[in-house]
Amino acid sequence: MKIQYSYLKNFLNTNLSQKKLCDVFTQVGFECDIEGDLIEFDITPNRGDALSLRGLEREFYAYQSKKPSQKLEKSTLKLFQDRKIINQIDGSGCGNYHLMLIKGLQKIKNLDSKKRSFIESAGIPLINPLVDLGNYVMLEIGAPMHVFDLDKLALPINVRFPQEEHNSVTVIGGDVKDVLSSSLTIQDQSGVQAIAGIIGSEASSVSSSTSSIAVEAAFFRPEVIVNQARKYGLATDASHRFERGVDPELQQTALERYLFLLDQIAEYDLVKLYYSYSHKSKEKNVKLNVARFNKFSGLSLKASKAILILKNLGFKVHSRGEKNVTFIIPSHRFDISLEEDLYEELLRSYGYDNIPISKPKAGPIVNNRQNNTLDNLRLGLVHSGFKELMHMPFVSRDSFHQLNSNNWKPAELHNPINENEPLLRGSLFRSLFAAVNSNVKKGYTSIKIFEAGNVFQKEKSSFTQSLHLSGMIYHHEPQKAWNQKELIYDFFSLKAEISKLLQTLGMQNIEFQKAISLMPFNENALDIYIGKQKIAVMGEIELSVTEKLVKKQAYGFVIYPEKISLVSINPKIVKTSKFPLSTRDINIVLDKSISYKEVEISISQAAIKHLVSFNLINTFEGKDIPKGSVSMTLRFTFQSRTKSLLESEINRSMQMTLKLLEKRLNAKIRL
Amino acid sequence: MQIPQDLIETAALKLKSIQSEAEFFQLRAQYLGKKSFVVTAFSKLRDLQSEEKVNAAKELNVLKNNLTKLFEISIEDILGKSDLKKLDVTLPADPFLVGSEHPITKISEKIINYFTPLNYQIFSGNEIETDFYNFEALNFPENHPARQMHDTFYLSSSGNSEYLLRTHTSNTQVHAMLEEDLPLYMLSPGRVFRCDSDTTHLPMFTQIEGLVVDEDVTFGDLKGVLIDFLENFFNEKMEVRFRPSYFPFTEPSAEVDIKFGNQGWLEILGCGMVHPNVLNGCNIDTKKFRGFAFGMGVERLAMLYYGVTDIREFYSSNLDFLNQFPS
Repeated sequence: MKIQYSYLKNFLNTNLSQKKLCDVFTQVGFECDIEGDLIEFDITPNRGDALSLRGLEREFYAYQSKKPSQKLEKSTLKLFQDRKIINQIDGSGCGNYHLMLIKGLQKIKNLDSKKRSFIESAGIPLINPLVDLGNYVMLEIGAPMHVFDLDKLALPINVRFPQEEHNSVTVIGGDVKDVLSSSLTIQDQSGVQAIAGIIGSEASSVSSSTSSIAVEAAFFRPEVIVNQARKYGLATDASHRFERGVDPELQQTALERYLFLLDQIAEYDLVKLYYSYSHKSKEKNVKLNVARFNKFSGLSLKASKAILILKNLGFKVHSRGEKNVTFIIPSHRFDISLEEDLYEELLRSYGYDNIPISKPKAGPIVNNRQNNTLDNLRLGLVHSGFKELMHMPFVSRDSFHQLNSNNWKPAELHNPINENEPLLRGSLFRSLFAAVNSNVKKGYTSIKIFEAGNVFQKEKSSFTQSLHLSGMIYHHEPQKAWNQKELIYDFFSLKAEISKLLQTLGMQNIEFQKAISLMPFNENALDIYIGKQKIAVMGEIELSVTEKLVKKQAYGFVIYPEKISLVSINPKIVKTSKFPLSTRDINIVLDKSISYKEVEISISQAAIKHLVSFNLINTFEGKDIPKGSVSMTLRFTFQSRTKSLLESEINRSMQMTLKLLEKRLNAKIRL
Repeated sequence: MQIPQDLIETAALKLKSIQSEAEFFQLRAQYLGKKSFVVTAFSKLRDLQSEEKVNAAKELNVLKNNLTKLFEISIEDILGKSDLKKLDVTLPADPFLVGSEHPITKISEKIINYFTPLNYQIFSGNEIETDFYNFEALNFPENHPARQMHDTFYLSSSGNSEYLLRTHTSNTQVHAMLEEDLPLYMLSPGRVFRCDSDTTHLPMFTQIEGLVVDEDVTFGDLKGVLIDFLENFFNEKMEVRFRPSYFPFTEPSAEVDIKFGNQGWLEILGCGMVHPNVLNGCNIDTKKFRGFAFGMGVERLAMLYYGVTDIREFYSSNLDFLNQFPS
């Protein structure tokens, strides 16, 4: 809500500067910004009562512990009920409906220039003095009004939800709107004349030739108005107020004020005020226990002080008991219904900044059940030179389907910001590809990046999220040192990097298995398991799924932190042997179809005496090696816990190993 | 007899620049060999008168001993150096990449690190949520204008429940209040989504919210912990202002402003005492327990902390930008 400072200052009868006035309102909960001569108030949705000069005045004077001195000048009218004027109102949407009929209008002048400028600066266009006056009263006391051309109405009026299908109405401004069945409407005998609380029809609107008017002031329930205006693409000053709530007892006053001001700009013959209400609003009482309030706030306020504060805000004491004071809530404070609501009023007036502070309290000690796997993985990657990135989770259909199998059903947004990206990601790689691309374009040639975030999936009638940690290594050019030393990064560099990461975090028993095809990797990929739990996948990136964002061989991985528990188990430490290690190398020739994994398994399962470890130190193909075969040099390390091994003992173990490899894998010894 | 006074000094200086064993022996010969000054001087002693002879002999002996000692000490260093290949050690290292955490991660950790010693537990929660946990249980009834404060992304779903992307991490607090034992001290960090986008708003941002439900917690406790947190975070005494505001899930509610540099008051977080409707909805006995809650936007804190002016930079994958944040 925008209010002219000069107008507000006069209204409040204060000399405070614009900035000081803003500070006061901010202190009591109405944040404001200065824009030239304007003050823009950010009124929270619970405080519809403050959306007027009167509303601001109440707060301003309560803050100063004073009562406003000015009384609202208004005419006094008698109320009539007549079903020929207002026939029926739907009580579920309308609390009361008032219609002031004025006939024989003439010599209509414009509002004075101050009022006109005040209305315009509030963002409301000037239309016609009769309409402008209604808008002025709304800004002044907070009751939205609508002015019909009485001669264009076929009375009586009914306030109801449309019963006929396919109602349409041409609203002020000329747009044709299909009236929704959820919208409360003002209907005369010819049809819909207004969408309640939002906008009137063009047909019954006032014009320069209007000489009789029907001025409407009503209480429409917020719950029937809220979200309606949006559905029509109309957000009016009236709907903004009705959505937040309007004082249900203000309507007669508003019309009387309208008439009082009308006297200053026009002449007329006849006025009569009609009304209808569905049920009278009940007086609302709320109890305050001051002792409880003091416990809640940390203050020690006396009951008398609490009463004074609330009285200044327009609350009246209904009754006073030993512990409790019961207050009558003024009709404009429809936001108050609980004792805690009164606490807020008290604290607001007392000043939040005046409440004494206590030292921070700690909660009870809890078993640390938090899984900090992600934090540890993240740090491990950072130490290996990876940069962490973050991205939005919205993706296009194409990129989703390139990176996710058909079984992976996408989570789709009903109202995406960008129509081309309606799906939630099922993989983090799309963003990583784009990051590689944009940084290579900038001139980066070596990139190591990762991202941690959720990916989403639709499952039957609900959705699942799972945490992924995905990373990429990309060298746009071979890396060379200044001395021409080449630093080659390949699949096995990646395997070392991932092994080092996982083992450093305490995962000693990881198992690599050839991956079953999973995007975005090509065939050179591994699944990584701990027991039966797949915890990660790593491999070469299949360039065809990168939408041309990645040009050269890249390596990637995805780790599932939720599948990894880093609960440390104290290892059982065994006494180390004090006897020397002995190593023996052998060369074997194997058929190339046999994987190294099979060699590992064969040896590991055989329980060879004194063997502590073995590793591959070389492979060779070509000269002297039959086609389709490969030569491997294996190094075996032996040790005893009880003695230095004899040559003959080591030889026996070697013989046994060789026999095993011959038998199981058809390995040939190469001399 | 003339005995040069700087002989020891020049010998020591020359020894320092020696690179190999050969050079060492050459130098030793120069100072202590047959043709050296000391040796030739000894042979010239006989030409002197007896008194002068005695004095010169004394002086020469001291000099010879000192030189011998000097070369003895140096030989140990020199012998080790003999095969050394001399490097220009100022040449650059092999190529390497420096990693770092994302600034949003760092700021999140900085916030969390204040609260974990106070035994606040961390709950991350669901990013896709039902209307109940995101709104209803937090006292945002259907058709309540407060819902317009949150532009919500909805998911297309065939089921009965309406799913959405959470608009705040308070959904996690509802889960925790329903499932965890009291008293409860918790933080819920995570990503949240709002259906709007411009230079100051992103459709996704990071929030950290805190919740305490305990007996006898007061508004003063809430103020105390937040002021202390802010002073810890910025590592200086802060001017902090609490002013009334409105959130459906707290009553009373407050916005917290700080004076930051010469920018005047800046809104930094929202907080309040947990609304009784929220506690009752989570089956918490409001006669016994009260709560307070607070929430902050991590991007906003990161922008202030690092002086970042465009929020979109955080999600741009621009390495030039990210390289400025050391780990």
